[in-house]
Amino acid sequence: MVIVQRKSLSLAERLYLPEVLRGLSITFKKIFQPAITRQYPEEPLPTTEVTRGQPRLVVKDDGNIACVSCGLCEAACPAYAITIDGQETDRFIEREPERFDIDMLRCILCGFCEEACPKDAIFMSNELELADYSRSGLVYDMEKLKRPASALKGRMDYIKRINDRWQTSSST
Amino acid sequence: MSDTVTIKVNGREVEADPTKPLIAACHDSGEEVPHYCYHPGLSPVGSCRICQVSVKVGEMPARVVVACRTPITPGMEVDTEAPKAHDARKECLEFLLKNHPLDCPICDKAGECTLQDYSFDEGQGEGRSVEPRRKLDKRKDLGDVIVLDQERCILCSRCVRFMEEVPGTPQLCVSQRGSHSVIETWQDRPLAGNYQGNLADVCPVGALTLKEFRFQARVWNLHKVASTCPGCSRGCSTTVEVLRKGEVKRVRPRENAAVNGWWMCDEGRFGFDAVNREGRLAGALLRSTSRGWDAVDTADALETARDMLAVHGEVLLVGSPFLTVEEGKVLVGLGKTLGTRPVFVSPEPNEWADDLLHTGDPSPNRKGLEDLGFDALPAEEILARISEGSEAVVLVGERIADSLGRDAVAGLGEHLRVILMDTHPVDSRAIDVAIGVPNYVERAGTWVNIDGHAGRIAPARQAPAGTWNLERSLDHLHTLLHTEPEGATP
Repeated sequence: MVIVQRKSLSLAERLYLPEVLRGLSITFKKIFQPAITRQYPEEPLPTTEVTRGQPRLVVKDDGNIACVSCGLCEAACPAYAITIDGQETDRFIEREPERFDIDMLRCILCGFCEEACPKDAIFMSNELELADYSRSGLVYDMEKLKRPASALKGRMDYIKRINDRWQTSSST
Repeated sequence: MSDTVTIKVNGREVEADPTKPLIAACHDSGEEVPHYCYHPGLSPVGSCRICQVSVKVGEMPARVVVACRTPITPGMEVDTEAPKAHDARKECLEFLLKNHPLDCPICDKAGECTLQDYSFDEGQGEGRSVEPRRKLDKRKDLGDVIVLDQERCILCSRCVRFMEEVPGTPQLCVSQRGSHSVIETWQDRPLAGNYQGNLADVCPVGALTLKEFRFQARVWNLHKVASTCPGCSRGCSTTVEVLRKGEVKRVRPRENAAVNGWWMCDEGRFGFDAVNREGRLAGALLRSTSRGWDAVDTADALETARDMLAVHGEVLLVGSPFLTVEEGKVLVGLGKTLGTRPVFVSPEPNEWADDLLHTGDPSPNRKGLEDLGFDALPAEEILARISEGSEAVVLVGERIADSLGRDAVAGLGEHLRVILMDTHPVDSRAIDVAIGVPNYVERAGTWVNIDGHAGRIAPARQAPAGTWNLERSLDHLHTLLHTEPEGATP
């Protein structure tokens, strides 16, 4: 058993009013300092290339999707958020996704898909906002996930830098 | 296995069959020895050199040999894990990967590729070669079934030997020499025959792939269930592979020395269209007088069926050729109650019969059903018997309407009571009650093949919601006929 000793109040505290005034003085001081509250929807959060937002698919400069639907992100996904069906294409890379769905309600933004991808086709973008009126609307299909490579460039360069660093430090 | 000899594999004494190569003894004793060109169903050639193990005979120092081309001699001491053997395999892998394109993300074989597995186990992480890789045809069309990717090929020649030794129709060859060697057909003719699909199975890498399965699914997403082929009365053991518990994507042969060895024919392999067909009959349908069909519970539909059977004297029970022994037994019991001997549709022999596997008789459980007391009758004869004097007919089992002919079933007389238990409904005024049944990838049971070997089928996915198992439906009907004696026929 612990006996908690109550703090005995000082004279100023017992008088009540001085403490109220002390509190109000802080309030009035803060009025004249710059605000630190962010007006969120109008003023979005700052993001950097380290921000791990929602995964997005890279569309290369030639207009084709970089994904070959190998299914490694699907296999790596711990939340089973990704579903991929492949199909044949006439491009040199013979395979492309016919369907690429990410259930954003399941996605936990862990970045395993980005790590698993052998084709640099999926990256964690800096897009963080997620709202819709229905659950089905939050299962993003390929069209909703496609982003031009230029939009993801910062993250792609960052991942490349990180990978290079690991490569040089871990290879013995 | 008449005369076995005793050899030592990794320090353990095992009995080995001296007519087989050393690698077979290693595998039989549970040791993992990598192999590409060796296949237990084909002659060994020792072209890939990956199965190198260390062997010591008598007083000679241990040396590294290829296990698939080494005969077994008494007193051999095999070490599959010797450092020298590991080194030899590692070097061998480096050569095999020298020209391999490493397009695993695109390759259909990825996930079940032994080149991947052994590279992961024994290979080195990086290639040392600075020469460019061979550029060859990545999409070489080899007929209706197979696509060849020459870059991925490691020239193990399993496919060449398969075509020569199993169906006995040599069509593939290794042409050119040295590093220019490629697998080709003679003058680029397309492959022919009913056993081409096995080429994709014997290929240890992704060089020979099935057109039908090309890019359809990643193999680790497939739910694999041991089953039996419904294509003919051979009943080859198969593995049914279902994507996300839905669509059947691939059927592959399963090793069964007593029935099919390692192989199956293309007719059976690609004959699974019916199980993926849309428009399944889930639950049951009753013919209503006003607006076509009424969807009802299977139990209600069976009560209506009981009422129909109870008032009509001449009942004919017609089973489909895909009935299992278990379902057949229940149907025979029902027949006894109704005073009729069930028949099953015996389809016409087809043109695929050969002396390897296909029997030409597309009825996987003929022997099982005949042993149970079914009469095997061709479709025309059954239809004739129906039109001759039956008052009610129960068509039972997966694809019974297909077996009798959908038009013939749709055209059955209106005076006749027709109870259809099938996977798909027949939209016709002739059908009074339609009850859904599971197909062979959704139910368990046994088929007995032409030689009397039992083949199990097992559920790989669920039947449509509300569908009862056929045994349960028939049993329920049987019970209903018994429980109300005033309605039951003698």
